[in-house]
Amino acid sequence: MNDLTLLRDAGPEAPTLSPAARSAARAALLAEMSGPVHRPARRPSRRIAVRIGVAAATVAAAWTGAVLVAAPDGPGTPAGSVTLVDFAVPTFPLSLDPAPAGMTPAFSGDADSAGFAEYESADSDDRFTVGVDDEEPEELDEAYEHVDVTERAEVDVDGADGRLVRGVRDVYCEDGLTVCERQRFAELAWERGDDEWVTMSGEGRYSRTAELVAVAESLVDRPQPATLRMGLAPAGWSVQFFKMGRVLTLVNDAYEQQTLTVHVPLPEDVVPLEQLPAGIEAPAGPVVPVTVHGLPARLVPTDHGAGMAGWYLQAQFADGTTFTVQAPDAFTREQVVALAEQVTHNR
Amino acid sequence: MRALPDSVPSDAELIARSLDDPQAFAPLFDRHATAVHRYLGRRVGELADDLLSETFLIAFRRRAAYRVDHVEVRPWLFGIATNLVHGHVRTEQRRYRALARAAARPEGHTAGPDDATDRLDAEALRGPIAAALAGLKAHDRDALLLLAWGQLGYEEIAAVLDVPVGTVRSRLHRARRQTRAALGAVSPFHPTSEEEDR
Repeated sequence: MNDLTLLRDAGPEAPTLSPAARSAARAALLAEMSGPVHRPARRPSRRIAVRIGVAAATVAAAWTGAVLVAAPDGPGTPAGSVTLVDFAVPTFPLSLDPAPAGMTPAFSGDADSAGFAEYESADSDDRFTVGVDDEEPEELDEAYEHVDVTERAEVDVDGADGRLVRGVRDVYCEDGLTVCERQRFAELAWERGDDEWVTMSGEGRYSRTAELVAVAESLVDRPQPATLRMGLAPAGWSVQFFKMGRVLTLVNDAYEQQTLTVHVPLPEDVVPLEQLPAGIEAPAGPVVPVTVHGLPARLVPTDHGAGMAGWYLQAQFADGTTFTVQAPDAFTREQVVALAEQVTHNR
Repeated sequence: MRALPDSVPSDAELIARSLDDPQAFAPLFDRHATAVHRYLGRRVGELADDLLSETFLIAFRRRAAYRVDHVEVRPWLFGIATNLVHGHVRTEQRRYRALARAAARPEGHTAGPDDATDRLDAEALRGPIAAALAGLKAHDRDALLLLAWGQLGYEEIAAVLDVPVGTVRSRLHRARRQTRAALGAVSPFHPTSEEEDR
């Protein structure tokens, strides 16, 4: 056995490509292929910007795990016998007081590392993220390999020593490769309490030290509910990840190939109800008209092959915002609708 | 690689057709999404879902610049995916370190007579390998993982990273030397010529 064989056989394994993720990626590609789509104010570099520095993906234990309010009925949920129980999506432990005007938070996280809150202005480039961890975040030189660091300093945050890094980084165009502009940023990390480390990253006006520290000092211990929530979930399932208040995926703890995804697509990505099932991947049966939240919705059986049959439900919240639920065929039609009835979105 | 029947268009033919008929690009996703996701997933975990989508969007937008004489389509996709991973160096580093920590935790099992042998199997090396990957420079790691996980040749790696093949050779030499050094105390591997692995 040589080192390459070892890397292949004993290197980190990849998570399974779920039908939902595959479907979402394929749908995005098909949408791109169907012609030019106007995508106002969409910034594909956001994820890169969020994760490049100190504030990226650093939060862990401050988030509680998903809470099953009713007891699950066994170690696993065999296909075909799903039991729905009350469910609560994790809350973010901190709030801002006063709340920043015109900025609403969206939350991201996963089962292991929890996540962060992102505050973004609707009408400017002002933006910051907040993450909480029970371990001191590492400062990796490689995180700054592709940016110009202009300042490193110790700053006072409510009497605690904060570590500040400021600089300028590239912002990429739609193609993900061409640099469109240069963006100033600031990142701040400090121990807010015993075993409570907070990391922040700011852009726009929050790339300035005074503004970012002012936000840091306005943090209070008040949990905030997740943006996208489910009031019901299958017994024995838990949160796999949630992203930017638009995606929430649960996984069957006893059978990780089974996932359930709720998605709030961007308005320009919504497939009109009357175009179903043509606008989705792998429809496998007729469209079934149903009602969710008192509004017309559509349920479509799907089949991605290799035992990956399931359901695609497209519905609306009371305010007209479209959401979808993708579930495996272990769920009955009625259960998919019941799950959708308990999905709420507060953004 | 399995040969395609004559009636099935090759990857390069699909890209050429897609210049006039964009829909012709779709089968490339069906052919390569799983492999690209697996490569990305081994590097960045769950973030692979996002990067898979971005990889194919970028490939579609840049298809006019694809040169069949330069590199085949799958390595080209791995190259795009690798460039996207650059924006997530911290995520990748943290993943390797977390895996190394997790693998180092005692399982609570009792050592048996075969335990010494078992500890030399691949399972026992997961932690040290993850730790070794975390210690590599990003560009060296790119070259090593394109070779090991992407199964690209030296020339293909040079093409997709847009560096001379000599640079690839030196990056691989450095990465493999460091990896072997990191695993030296625990690994059962037998030294081979690096050129044999091309």
